[in-house]
Parts: sequence; structure tokens; C-alpha cells
Amino acid sequence: MRTATTTASLDGLRPGARVVIRNVDGPAPLVRRLAEMGIRPDALVTALHRTAGGGRVVDVAGARIALARSVLRSISTEPSS
Amino acid sequence: MSMPPDTLPADAGPTAPAATAREAQQPAATPSRGAPQATAEASRPAAGANCHTDGAAPQAPAGAPVIALAGAPNVGKSTLFNALTGARRTVGNWPGTTVEVGRGAWTIPGGAVSLVDLPGAYSLDPLSPDEELTRDLLLNPDPAQRPDAVVVVASTAHLARSLYLVAQVRETTLPVIVALTMIDVATRRGIDVDTAALERALGCEVVSLDPRRRTGHEELDQVLRDVLDAGPLTPRGASAVGDHLSEAVSDGEQPAAYPMPDPTGGDGDGDGDSLARADERFAWIEHAIAVSVTERADRRQTWSDRIDRWATAPVIGPLLFLAVMWAVFQVTTKVAGPMQDALDGFFSGPVTDAARAGLGAVGLGGGVIEGFVTNGLIAGVGMVLTFVPLMALMFVLLAVLEDSGYMARAAVVTDRLMARLGLPGRAFLPLVVGFGCNVPAIAATRILPQARHRVLTALLVPFTSCSARLTVYVLLATTFFPDRAGTVVFAMYLTSIVLVVLIGLLLKSTLWRAVGADPLVLDLPPYQRPTVRLSLSVMWLRLQGFLRTASGIIVATVCVVWVLQSIPVVAGESFGSVPVADSLYAAISRLVAPLLTPAGFGEWQAVSALVVGFVAKEAVISSWAQTYAVADPSAGRVPGSLGHQLLQTFEVSSGGHAGVAVVAFMVFLLAYTPCVATLAAQKREIGMKWTVLGVGIGLIAAWVLSVLVFQVGRLFW
Repeated sequence: MRTATTTASLDGLRPGARVVIRNVDGPAPLVRRLAEMGIRPDALVTALHRTAGGGRVVDVAGARIALARSVLRSISTEPSS
Repeated sequence: MSMPPDTLPADAGPTAPAATAREAQQPAATPSRGAPQATAEASRPAAGANCHTDGAAPQAPAGAPVIALAGAPNVGKSTLFNALTGARRTVGNWPGTTVEVGRGAWTIPGGAVSLVDLPGAYSLDPLSPDEELTRDLLLNPDPAQRPDAVVVVASTAHLARSLYLVAQVRETTLPVIVALTMIDVATRRGIDVDTAALERALGCEVVSLDPRRRTGHEELDQVLRDVLDAGPLTPRGASAVGDHLSEAVSDGEQPAAYPMPDPTGGDGDGDGDSLARADERFAWIEHAIAVSVTERADRRQTWSDRIDRWATAPVIGPLLFLAVMWAVFQVTTKVAGPMQDALDGFFSGPVTDAARAGLGAVGLGGGVIEGFVTNGLIAGVGMVLTFVPLMALMFVLLAVLEDSGYMARAAVVTDRLMARLGLPGRAFLPLVVGFGCNVPAIAATRILPQARHRVLTALLVPFTSCSARLTVYVLLATTFFPDRAGTVVFAMYLTSIVLVVLIGLLLKSTLWRAVGADPLVLDLPPYQRPTVRLSLSVMWLRLQGFLRTASGIIVATVCVVWVLQSIPVVAGESFGSVPVADSLYAAISRLVAPLLTPAGFGEWQAVSALVVGFVAKEAVISSWAQTYAVADPSAGRVPGSLGHQLLQTFEVSSGGHAGVAVVAFMVFLLAYTPCVATLAAQKREIGMKWTVLGVGIGLIAAWVLSVLVFQVGRLFW
């Protein structure tokens, strides 16, 4: 989903793209858990490879987190400057 | 809506095997801090109460300070625990919960303290029973129920993520020490932490150490001593948050009938207020990081990433996973199988012979005592021991899969498939293992971090058709369908898979409606070489636990069956030397038989085989051999092969539809309780109530399906 020219969901990025998280949508416990793992607004993440089942692995401050596609889609990002 | 964290990481990765070891159910001998000895039904866990332990490890003396070890998953918490306590721990369920905690004595200057290894948790906001326990203990409003201090283990490599827990604990007066681990990983990634600056920012002691190399421990010992002597800390700014949480704890609901906390429980998860608190904590953490951490800019792909490109990739990832599963299956069947047979032969051969000779020598041969010793005790103990190589291999495999980090990748690969049953991806493993043997499969459910997933999987495992059932299928199929035996056996395996899915969907939609639909959010720990010592010690601990809990049930059941077979119900026979047909056992089978007439096998010979099959499927054929060898020799029947005799029995019971009745019998055999050892394993993993429920589900499913098969089948066949 692209709402602005520079915003893309984590799902749509090509591997290796380094982005800043703008917004995380979803049920509050999920948003909070993602935040605890470092996935929250203003955090810098790198999109890594795709996984079986349609998700992908992201690099968050050196940690590797596997996320389902639905979660990826609920995270909007901007390219990091 | 609450988001049950099924797919969220728990204590997986480097430290998981130790963290998930759950041992025997006996209460420990030394209750500490004067708390009452709690039972599994105790409604309220308390810091001082003892968990159920295996009683093997030394405990700190009663009244010793209790120190909680907390931390996010994958930070090396259990490794540190082992290093501090010399890897000697008691592991067991926390009273009133299915959450397991480890305990051990930790010697610091001035005496020993009791160290409690809490389940891995990112925060004190409970999304799972494990986290709820951690919160309950650390934020308990009653200071007497709280630990005297908490050591929060934090990974230097992922510091920000590790500090959320610290932020929350620092909102209380609980003395806290932050133990920094994984310095080596951090250094490799160009991350450098200024501990003095971090200490100032967090307002508590920070000790950096390396549990894998066991350095920095003396400092931690001394710091703990100082912290204990210094007493309560002044909470950081947001004290109101602590009160809020404390109140919530006192209102917290405890599980009722079953030890399963309501997964939808939890307080104010979604309100903006709690999100604001979370923001405040993140800001606090960010500040602490900013003043203490310097990071090299470049980010290289690690070799872990390179493996993951394949291990979690579409197509290749699932194939690799299947290959790993195949290997596990092979080890649990092909490697353990011969050992099992050898042990079985040893007990039924030399050991039994020796016992006979010994009893004969003291004048007790040939009688009731010999029967009891050889057919009861030795048969029972032998059966327990035949499981030892199988379980040992299984436990080593599990430890290696977890310790290496592969289990997290397997969970990613199977996530979508298992999500349909409301289970996380890694539940696939126990179900695969179940096709080899249900007993290690039940034990393998402990790779699941969530208690309700363990329960659900442990209830499904019995429907996977184990290799012991295969022997019965083969005998029946070759006897009744000589031309299509292979197809029939294959169909049984398909039926088994269908049953797992159907029962899974049924349980999912009845027991836990909230289960499922949780999107995958999983921390992938870096791959590492499994540590042999850890794997073996975890294996040994789990094996001991299995023997302790399972042996009693198995030996007792074998003995009971023997006694029933020995009690005559016909005049003129004596105890211990009665033909099976005239025993109480046959009488009970005859009593039950009419229940199975609708399924086409309401004859006592078939029913008694099912009763024996309840003990062990391996025994079904031998019991038939025994039954037919001794059945009614005076009736002038020509003794034929076992197959021939079976054919007659099924012909009679089914009214001429023997084929359909045999299929119905096989379906019954597939669906009901696999064996008493499985029940023992279930009781150990998920408790008595769930085990009994599982037996009920199995019997009902078996009866309904076999009746269905027979009634429908005989219309066409």
C-alpha cells in the first residue's frame, strides 16, 4: 500500500533496502510486542530475504526477526536518508 | 482483541533446552522461605513456594535470599543460570501453572542464595502464561512474596530490546542488577557499551560477563552481595506505572479447572494510557542507549544470514525442513528400534529365565509369585527400559535442534501450515515424531513455548499412527486382504493424518477459540554450534524425569493386566494358572464386548486385544496368540494359524462382514489410546486432567469412527 510517494510497507521493499519505520498498525498487543522487539516508529530496519509462507526476515538493530506477510503489510516505512 | 503470542519467540535458541526442561512432579524436599508446599492445584504462585522438582540438585538453605533471573528470550539467560549454579538445577512447573522454572543454589560472598530462572519475557506485560508468571513474581504487591533482588540478563548485541524489562522493573523498589551477555557477538558487530554510563542512565548496577566462557562472575557475585546489603532501590520517575501494574497483578485471574490461564486475559492491553507508558519507557531506553552505546556504522551480512537465505527460503526451506524431519524420524525408528528390540529380548529372555531359575532355586518356581515377577514386574520394567534409548535419542536431537538455532527456522517454514490448526510451526516436529513413537513425540511438545500449544499438540500426537500400530495393521491386512495389504496399511496412515487434522480443528474450535490467526513474529537467534555438555545434561535431566514419572504407571498397568488374567472366574481353576478365556480379564472383555457390536467386533477376543493394546500395541498380537492358543481347547476346534482363528472371530462378530469389521477394528486401534507409556508421558507434560480428557477423546473418536465404518461399509461390502 502506498499512501505517499515515499512511503512503502515493509512487504513491498526489495531485499537490502534500509528504511525508517513510520507507523505500525494492528492490534495493540501485537504493536506493543513489535515495539519491544525494536520495530516501532523511527526505528531503522533493513529488509532481508523472503521466507517460505510469504513473510520475510528483517534486520532490526542487528537482530533478525521473521515476520508474516500480514505483519509486514501493517508496517509503513520511508527510505532512510 | 488480544493477540495470543503463539508464534512469538520464547526461550528458543542457545539456551532453550535447559530452559524448557521440565522435570518430575514430586515436590522438593526443602520448601524455602517458609511458604507452604504448593501443589499443582495451588491457586497462587508465590516467590517462596517451591516448584515441583526432581529433587536432584542442591538447594540454598531455607530462608536464603531468593534471586530472580529474568530476561528476554535468546539472551543467554539459562546459560548464565547454569554457570552460576554449576548447572545443577531443579526444574519443574511453578505451582498452579504449566510454566516451568529452574531453581538452583548460587554461592556468593556471605552465603548461598536461591536462584530462580524465570521464563524468558520481553516485558512484564503478560501475553502468555510464562510472562504472566514473571510479572506476578516481580511485581507482587506483597514484598514477602517478591524475590529479594532480580538479575535482568541483557544481550549487549541487542541492548535496546533487552532493556524494556529493566525499564519496568526499575519502576518498582526491587533491587536490580543488569547482567550484560554476548559481549563477543556485540564486539564482532562493532557495538561497544560503556557500562559506567549505562549504570548511571539506568540507575542500577550493570555487570558485563560472558556465560559461555564463564567470565565476570566474581564481579557479579560481589555486586549481588552489595545490592542485597543495600536494600530497596528508589524507583525511577514513572512510579505510577508500577502501582498500576501492581494493582493489575492483585486482580489477576488464576486458572480455574485446567491450569491454562485465559489467553485473552490481561489488563488494559490496548488503551492509549498503556501505550503512552510504553512510549515513556522506550524514550528512557533510548536515552540510556544514546549515552552508553557506540556502534560501528557498517552492517555486513553474517554467515547466519547466508544460511538463512536457504533455510527459510520458499521451496528450499520446506525441503530442507522435510529432510531434517526425515532424519529425526529415521533416528527415532531405525536407530532406536533395534536397541528397543534388543532390550525387549533381553528382558523377556535372559532376565526372565534368570528370575525363573532364581525363584525355582528358592522354592517359588512355577507358582503365582513366578508369574507375578516374570509377567508383571519384569515385563513392566522391561517395557519402561525399552523406551530409554528412544527417549535419550529424542532428547539429544531436540536439544541439538534448539541449541543450534534451527528450530526457530523450522518454525518459520511450517508456520502457515500449522497455523490452520491454531498451532505454531514448530508443533510440526512432535507430530512427525509421533509416526515413529508417540512417547518421545509427547516429550517433544516441550519445544512449544506456550502451555496451551503443548496441550493441544500432546492431545493430537496419539492420533499419529506409531510404528507399534503398524505391526497390527500388517498382520490384519495380510490376513484379511492378502492382495491389497499394502494399500490397506497406507490407507491407515492417510486416515491418521486426516484424524490429526480433524481432531485438531475440532479442539481448536471448541477448547481454545482464541487460538490461531496469530501472525508470525519470531526472533531468529544466530546459528551456533550446539554445546555437547548442555545437550547431554539436558538429555540426562529429561530422561531421569521420564523414568521417574512413567515407570510407575507402566509397571502398575502391566501388573494389573497380569492380575486380571490370573484371576479365575470359572470353578476349578486356580489363581495364576487359569486359561485367559476363564479369567476375570476375559469376563470383563465379554462385559464390554456388546458396546462394540455396532462396530462389528463385539467378541471378547477382539475386545481383550484392545484392552491389552491400551497397555501397548506391541502386545496386541502376542495377546492374541496367547488367547487363541489357550482358548477353548476342549471344543474340538482344529487349531489353525492365528490368522485363520482371527478370521473366524471376525466372521462371527460381524455377521458375515468380516472385512468391514476388520477395517473398523483397525480404525478403532488407530484412534484410541496408543499405550500406557504415552499416557504416562502425557500426564507428565500436560497433567492428569488433560490426559484423561485425551483418553476420552480417543475412545469416543475410535468408537464413533469404527461404528461409522462398519455400518456404512457393510451396506456395500
